Formats: sequence, C-alpha cells, structure tokens
Amino acid sequence: MRRVLPYVLLGVGTLVVTFPFVWMITTAFKTQTEATMSTLNLWPSVWQWRNFAETFRAAPFARYFFNSFLVAFTVTAAVIVTSLMAGYAFARLEFPGSRILFGLVLATMMIPFEVTLIPNFVLIRRLDWYNAYPALIVPWCANAFSIFLMRQAFLSLPSDYFDAAKVDGCGHLRFLARIAAPLVKPMVVTVGLFAFLGSYNSLLWPLVVTSEEAMRVVQVGLTVFSGAEGVRLHLLMCASAIVILPTVALYFAAQRYFLEGSIGAGIKG
Amino acid sequence: MRHAARAVLTLTLVMGAVGCGGRSQTSDASGTPASGARPAFTPVDETAAVFWDRQTTETAELLRTLVDDYNAGRPQDLLPVKLEHVGGYTDIFRKVSASIQARALPAMAVGYQSMTSEYVQAGAVVALDAFVQDPAVGFAPEDLGDFFPVVLETNRYSDFDNAMYSFPFCKSALMMFFNKKVLADAGIEAPPVTWEEFFAQCRQVKEKTGKHAYAVSVDCSTIDGFVYSMGGDVIDGQTTLFDQIASVRVFELFEALAKEELAYQISPGTYDDETALAHNEIAFMFRSSSARTSIQMLMEGDDDRWGMTRIPQADPANPRTVLYGPNICVFNTTPEQQRAAWAFIKYFTSAETGVKWALGTGYLPIRKSAAKDPQMQAFWDEWAYNRAAFDCLEFAKSEPTVAGWQEVRLLVEKAQTEVLTGIKSARQAVLDLKHKADAVLAQQ
Repeated sequence: MRRVLPYVLLGVGTLVVTFPFVWMITTAFKTQTEATMSTLNLWPSVWQWRNFAETFRAAPFARYFFNSFLVAFTVTAAVIVTSLMAGYAFARLEFPGSRILFGLVLATMMIPFEVTLIPNFVLIRRLDWYNAYPALIVPWCANAFSIFLMRQAFLSLPSDYFDAAKVDGCGHLRFLARIAAPLVKPMVVTVGLFAFLGSYNSLLWPLVVTSEEAMRVVQVGLTVFSGAEGVRLHLLMCASAIVILPTVALYFAAQRYFLEGSIGAGIKG
Repeated sequence: MRHAARAVLTLTLVMGAVGCGGRSQTSDASGTPASGARPAFTPVDETAAVFWDRQTTETAELLRTLVDDYNAGRPQDLLPVKLEHVGGYTDIFRKVSASIQARALPAMAVGYQSMTSEYVQAGAVVALDAFVQDPAVGFAPEDLGDFFPVVLETNRYSDFDNAMYSFPFCKSALMMFFNKKVLADAGIEAPPVTWEEFFAQCRQVKEKTGKHAYAVSVDCSTIDGFVYSMGGDVIDGQTTLFDQIASVRVFELFEALAKEELAYQISPGTYDDETALAHNEIAFMFRSSSARTSIQMLMEGDDDRWGMTRIPQADPANPRTVLYGPNICVFNTTPEQQRAAWAFIKYFTSAETGVKWALGTGYLPIRKSAAKDPQMQAFWDEWAYNRAAFDCLEFAKSEPTVAGWQEVRLLVEKAQTEVLTGIKSARQAVLDLKHKADAVLAQQ
C-alpha cells in the first residue's frame, strides 16, 4: 500500500495537469456551440477537421511561425551568451563595485514590464526599429534572471578548477568556453529554455512594436479569434494546440537538463 | 470591458506620470494646426494614412474590402489608407499612448470616448469640426442631418470646448437578449416591457424552471443604460447622480436579484452569459446589440429560440437605452495624413458604405436614410428582431465624455460587484460610489 500510494497521487496529479491540454486539443475539433457547453463533454460528437483549415485561413500563421522561430532562437542564443559572460564575471571576477553592479542588475527584476513599455517603445522609434526584427530581438538579449542563474551555477564550481587552469596559462575567456560552460550545461539549457519560452510566448511587446502582418508572431495571431463581442473558442483552441507544439517538443527534448538545472538552482516549478 | 477599463486607467496614470500635458488644438480643414499649437506628430508611415483598428475575422475582412474599395476610387492627390490590426481596444490605447510619447502616430485609430479624452489632453488628436463644416470636403447640412443626432453628440467632448474630437465608427445599443424556450418553460409568452415585469418574470423563471433568470456581466455601460431606462441620468456637469432615485433603483434591483438568487455574476471579461443563453441555462442577458451575430452563431441558426428587444423601461412611452461603440479619431500629424483620414471617414460613414458595414457586422447604421435602403429593409424582414436595435437609435443616449470618467467606470463596476456579492447594501453602495466618483471628477 505504501508503495502504491505515491503512484496514485502522482497519477491524480498528472491527470489534473494534463486535463487542460486534453481539453484544448479535443475542443479544437468541436463546433463553436459544442466548445462552449458548460457540461464536461470531452469528446466532440463529430470531429471537425475543417477547424484547422479555418484557423489557417484566418491569419497567415506560416509567416507568424517563421517570425516566432527566428526571434525566439536568436534571443535564446543571445541570452545564453550574455548570461554566461555576465554570470561568470559576477561569480569569478573581482572588480570594484561588482556587488553594487550585481545588485543593480537584480533590481531590474523588480521593475514591472508595463512601466518600461513606453520608454522602451520611444527608444525603439528613435532607433527606427519599428516594424523590424531588431525591435523584437535586441531588447530581450540579456536579462537579470538568466544572469543570476548563471552566476549561481558558476559559484557552485570549485575555485580549484580555475586556479589549475590559470597555472596552465588559461585566460578567463578560454576557461569559460572550454571548462566552465560545459560544466554548467544543465543551467545553460535551463536558461535557454526560459529565454525561448519567454520570447515565443510574448504578446504585448510584439503587438506594440510591429504593425505589419509580415512582422507579426504567432501569439499575436491568436488574438484574431477574440472579437469585441465574443471568442471563437474552437478556433482559438485549434490555433493554440498548434502554437504550443514547438514548446512541448522542446521541453521533452531538453527535459533532463531542465530538471537538473532547476533542481541545481533551487527553482520552484 | 472591466479589464479594458482597468488597463486604460493604469496607462492613463503612466501617461500622466511621464508628463504629457496641454490641451489639443483645433485644425482647419486643410489639417493645419492652429497657431500657437504644439508641433504635429510624425506619421508612422509617410506614404499611407495608417488606420489602427481592432476588428477580427469576418468583420476585419469586410473592413479590408471597404478600405480596398476606398483606395481604388480615391482622388489621386490623397494618400491611400492602410489598415493595421493592433489587437483589442486596450492594446490600441497602449500603443497610441506609447506612440504619443514617441511622437509618431498613425493617421487615425478607433477608440472609446474615454480614451480619446486622454489623447486630447496630450494634444494628439485634432478637432473635426472644421472638416465637418468645410464646404469642399465636409458634409452638406442635409447630409449631416441624415445622421442620428446622438451618434454625433457622443463625439463632442464637454471638457474640451464641446469640440468634435472623433467621429462615429461602430455603433450599437444596449439590448435585452432573451431565451424563448426558457421563458416558455416558465409559462411566459412575451419578454418584459417594464422593470416590474422583468423582476416578476425572473421570479417566475426561478420558480418554474429552477434556473437563474439573468447572467450578469458587470459593466458600467449596462448600469448607465439601466439608469437611463429608469428615467434618470448619471452625471450633471461635473457631479455624478448615483445617489438619485433612478440609480438607487438600479442598484436595488441588482440587490434583490442577487438576494433571491435570480441572477448570478459571470466571470469578468468572459462571454459566459452568451453561452448560458445559447444553452438554455438562463432567460435574460443584457449586452450590446452587436452581440447579435455572436449569439446567432452560438444558437446555430435556431432563431426561433431567442430574441433581442429594447431593455425594460420605467416608462415604456418614453424609452431610453445607452449607445455603445467606438469612434475614429484623427491624429495631429501632417495635413496630408489628416486630409486622407478625413476622406476615408467620410467615405466610411456615407449612406451606402454604412449599410454595407451594418449588414456585414451587426453594428447599427448611423444614418436615418438607412431605413429606406432596400437591402436594410430585406435584412429587417428576415427576422422579427433584426430592426429592434436600429429603432433604439431614436432614443439611445451616449455615456459621459468628461475627463476622469474612465476611473469612474471602475468605481461603478466595483459598486455593482459589491452589491451582487452582498458586501454592501444598494443604498450604501450608491452613497459610497457617489462620494468617490465626485472626488475623481473634482480632481480633473
């Protein structure tokens, strides 16, 4: 009994967590009326495959996906590079004001996005980046949380490694690239996943800094199913089911590293 | 609407904090700002008059077609119009607010009066009176007389010399939607005409069917409409009238509905009342007439199962309801942009285009002449309730356009929630509301 109970509890937990996803997928195949029923009929009476065709007709999702991937992968790569370098600097380099500087970096986490929205937008306009990829990418290429995570990861490495490498004539950059970064791979993957998800899921910023269809991302595409007087729930779920596929695939691919990194940094899920 | 209002309020405060001030200036019909005015804003696109809108799916498609038609037939000396979907009304307000700070704006955008008031304060929009009255590009008196007076009046801003800072775009009226099957199950043949009948029918529905009669979407515009229909008003100058008898009766109605469990509050920002009506779970809901198309879809074409009529009245011989809907405002950019924006507005509000828009979207035609249009008449003949909202235009009343009303809206919705949840009595809620709302307006 003692061995079975955890499995039962975990099974119930899994059901609770996966139910919204199952509901989303089955709702994607329902009619609008069926989708809005208050009763818990999970399966569609007739599977509406045409919902997918209707979804893709409603907005140029192929273009949106291209933009989302381009932006999310570029941001991810940039965040990994900047957080590796800044995290290493805060963990291993001694320079005047490093603690104050790190405190300032952390302080940026306390400022709500809404407060910086207008100043950031003004800057984007002045740089003439409106409706351009740099507006979607550059502001997100570094963030305090990733720097903090990488710093914690580097602090966990014994300083003997660095001392030994230094004796062999290894400089900071080489030590970082050849020794330290591979040792904190789970954290690199975690930072990368957070960066990807943050970028891929962002809505308000892309909505504000773009207006051309050709520059829009998938999350903006989802808004076309919400009108002033109602939501096309079946089509919205259909589009959502498609939109989350890349993130689900990425999570499963990097699951092992993500868990290692999360446990190592003490991140609560 | 409540979420939108909250976000708008937050952004309003942010706009204030970053220091946008000064009043807007008027312009002449050539779009030249009056002397002494702040410099115009830069257009977001020099080659086109960009129009920031919020329409989606079929209505967006129709608007795109109308824009294409306009561009194809426009005089060549005018810039073409470029339609850009910018999300919901709150998103548009956010983007315009940010763009005001960046001093780069589109030619025009849709928005509610409370949003336009904020733009006016930032000097970002131009008054349209000069365009309207211009002999060359404006409306002839008989043409202007074709508009329902209320749709024009709602675009005049009493805090800003009563100038017309926007023009009607999508208009609709607060209506009562009812489920005939639920009413029939309760032994009711016709929807209520007075508020007394409404309450009695709610009781009857509960008693005979065990269902809630009314799903309440907490919304200031609905409260305003109810107050109007009770023969009252919500504001007099800069003073609110929430402590007056009509307003008290509205809040007491909600108090009684909640106490007797005849009504329940839906989750804010959802359309659960529409789905409840479509699934025969309630008898009544109150929404904008533009919800007709959404209900029709949810009812899957079963038009015998539901209806839409004017809201109950204190005095049916002297009916009132509230006029909804966003307007278009023209931004203080270059004269070319303003001229192009005005030309498009004129095209869009022409009798012919207005009918196309109304038929394709469910919004109301804003001209009286639409009543004679054969297509419109054919549409009204299709279903007994299709004309109900149009008939309300004769007596519909717009909501206040005073600065600070956006914040008052939140207070009204808070008071409504407090009454529905039993936190406060109706009397206490209206007294507190009056006190706080007056304080907000006094600060403006």
